[in-house]
Amino acid sequence: MSARPEVVVDGFPARRPRWIEVATSADHKDVGRVMIGASLGFLFIAVVELLLMRLQLAVPENTLLTPVLFDRVLSLYGATAIFLFAIPLALGLFYYLAPLQIGARGTALPRLGQIGLWLYLLGAAVLYSGFLWTPTEAGVNPLAPLSELAFLPNNGVDAWCAACGLATLGFVLIAINLIATLRRMRAPGMAWRRLPVFAWSAAIGSWLLLAIGSVMLAAIVMLLIDRNFDGVFFADGSGGAPLLWAHFSWIFFTGAYMLILIAALGAAAEIVAVFARRPLVGRGTVVGSLAAIAVIGTLAWMQNMLTAPIGIGWMYFAMIMSLALIVPFGLILYNLIATLAGGAVRMRAPLLFAAGAISMISIGLASEISHSMVAVAWRLHNTVDSTAATHFALVGGAVFGGFAALHYWFPKMTGRTMGETLARMSFWTMVLGTLLSFAPLFIAGTDHGQVADAYKFFDGTGVGAENLVSTIGAFVLALGIVLTLVNAIASRNGGARAGHDHWGGDSLEWFTLSPPEPHNFDVPPDVRSDRPMRDIRLAIAHRSARAEEAREAQPVA
Amino acid sequence: MSPHSPGTDQIDTLLWIGFVVATIVIVAVNVALFAALRRHRGGDAPREMVGGRGKQLRVGGALTVFAAAILVLSLIYTDKARETPANGAAGLASAKSEPLTITTTGQQWLWRYDYPNQAFSYYKLVVPVDTTVELNLVSTDVIHTWDVPQLAAQADAVPGKTNHVVFRADEEGDFRGQSSTFSGQAYAAMRTEVEVVSPQEYEAFVNRQKADIQAAQDRVVGLIENGEVP
Repeated sequence: MSARPEVVVDGFPARRPRWIEVATSADHKDVGRVMIGASLGFLFIAVVELLLMRLQLAVPENTLLTPVLFDRVLSLYGATAIFLFAIPLALGLFYYLAPLQIGARGTALPRLGQIGLWLYLLGAAVLYSGFLWTPTEAGVNPLAPLSELAFLPNNGVDAWCAACGLATLGFVLIAINLIATLRRMRAPGMAWRRLPVFAWSAAIGSWLLLAIGSVMLAAIVMLLIDRNFDGVFFADGSGGAPLLWAHFSWIFFTGAYMLILIAALGAAAEIVAVFARRPLVGRGTVVGSLAAIAVIGTLAWMQNMLTAPIGIGWMYFAMIMSLALIVPFGLILYNLIATLAGGAVRMRAPLLFAAGAISMISIGLASEISHSMVAVAWRLHNTVDSTAATHFALVGGAVFGGFAALHYWFPKMTGRTMGETLARMSFWTMVLGTLLSFAPLFIAGTDHGQVADAYKFFDGTGVGAENLVSTIGAFVLALGIVLTLVNAIASRNGGARAGHDHWGGDSLEWFTLSPPEPHNFDVPPDVRSDRPMRDIRLAIAHRSARAEEAREAQPVA
Repeated sequence: MSPHSPGTDQIDTLLWIGFVVATIVIVAVNVALFAALRRHRGGDAPREMVGGRGKQLRVGGALTVFAAAILVLSLIYTDKARETPANGAAGLASAKSEPLTITTTGQQWLWRYDYPNQAFSYYKLVVPVDTTVELNLVSTDVIHTWDVPQLAAQADAVPGKTNHVVFRADEEGDFRGQSSTFSGQAYAAMRTEVEVVSPQEYEAFVNRQKADIQAAQDRVVGLIENGEVP
């Protein structure tokens, strides 16, 4: 009698070493994980660069860094923090989670996502191999005509263009894939109105990135033509206009700012609801507000150009757009806090970081209200006050919000949980560090007019104490960030094992294994409400209760 | 920093309004957040959905009113700051007398001031007190921003364009400022100083400056004619 055939393996064994499998995989989870990991690595590099700059600015007329070296660190910091950390972290989270949340077994155009990841990594390699020749020194936003060949003849700006261009192209390709996936591959019953808030963030963020990324790509190509083929797009005279670069680049940077906040608030909305153990209050309002932020926020790009000769009408237009943002941002903050207020709160690390994100973002955005007022912008434009406002909003969004998402979805991505004690230590260190490093800059900028991006400040300008405190705060902040990075690395293989539905979430990513199998779902889930995982839990409870009843009804002998 | 020109006190007022608004918003959001986390920590069973469209509309309406109020205040004070000599053509229209026009050139990494009598000076601008001064901002290389916060609103000097700064200093003294758009290596050192003096001293200054420049040029011409300099 022959043996019955048995299934003895679940899945095909990996043919090649694990890292080759990951590197050549087009699976959205592999691409997403590499992207999230790389962006956190670049967070570390950005922090080191910030510390270098803060050390230089610790005391007046410091000579630690030469002016050129400071400018290079500043330019690399800007490119790293925005192009290599904040945007790819948001996009990596979108790319990993959105397909899971809509119950898809993969993405619509997986190769597009794969090449997007590698374009981003290639861009990063180009930016940092710039150390082999000359890194860029044109500032965070390489404003024309400073970035033109006549004023910076070395190839640093070309390297910046190549690096940020490649990365942006990668982001746009990933965004296209996400848009296609979210449109075409939702599980049966997953109507748009039932999409989880973070999947909405992914949809809105992808559309936004498609728009602003294209603008930036065009601008970068024009700058490359200017520099290498005698173009005159941004040169004065011959029909060129320096302000054209300002418009294009600020559309991108303002949109990117909004993208980071959309991702952070979307993640915070999911976390707040799960940890308050109740559905999100005003779900539709929150989603609508996220969409409004993408449109209105990007239209406020001229808020960065209020000192340029652009005509008072355009200044008022920028002011109306940026003040209009009070409504959607206010509604989101109201609904997140209202959800917490009526819930039974479990105070775990993800909620802690999400609350930190809400708090820091509120400080940053409240300060931006002043910067929206045209006459105030005439005073505070490009002072360290604007540096502080931007950093409160973006450290709150990208770092606190990113860490909230990391703690929340880490069990799903790795099957392990991150250490709670280390998370708490990291959180409070980061809160202290952020307040210490950026709050003094409000005073230095408003009261003493200290300008941003300068490699030194002069003795006797009254900003010595503020800058020293800010430098100390930057080190505290760096320590807090490093604690979470260490926590993540240590927990990848050493953390406590997590179940498949570790936090009791309501969205479909918690229906998969931790980490999910390559095909995500054995059975595509049938979605009946905006809380599909809760429906599944109830159905299972119902079924096991019936099975229990049936067993009890059996005769004993 | 105390304002010393009619436009800058409007800016100062609006700055205070902005500060108060920001403080209220920060305190309100963070107190509410803290209370929400504190009150229900691990507490009773969660409430199911509360409120509805009506509540959302009321909150949205309140926020709209709040934003509109800030917008109105900003428009009022920005407009005042423009009409009193601070920024742009609107300021000029309301000036009582013909303004003193000084061409101000931003260049890496120094400001050059050209006075009406063809005298010029670098770094330091000398202007008479209680006189409307119009700076025509131009740039010969990259974008710079002229920023002397006690006297006027910031304005960019953009190559190929002319921007305007208008102010009327109400007190004699020294006012310091710094360029506030990143312009390359020596950007941090690109400072400027406005010395406000009495009209007589101003006249004396520009005449002396003109004579000095003329004398220096004559000497150079003399040296060239003598063959001492090629």
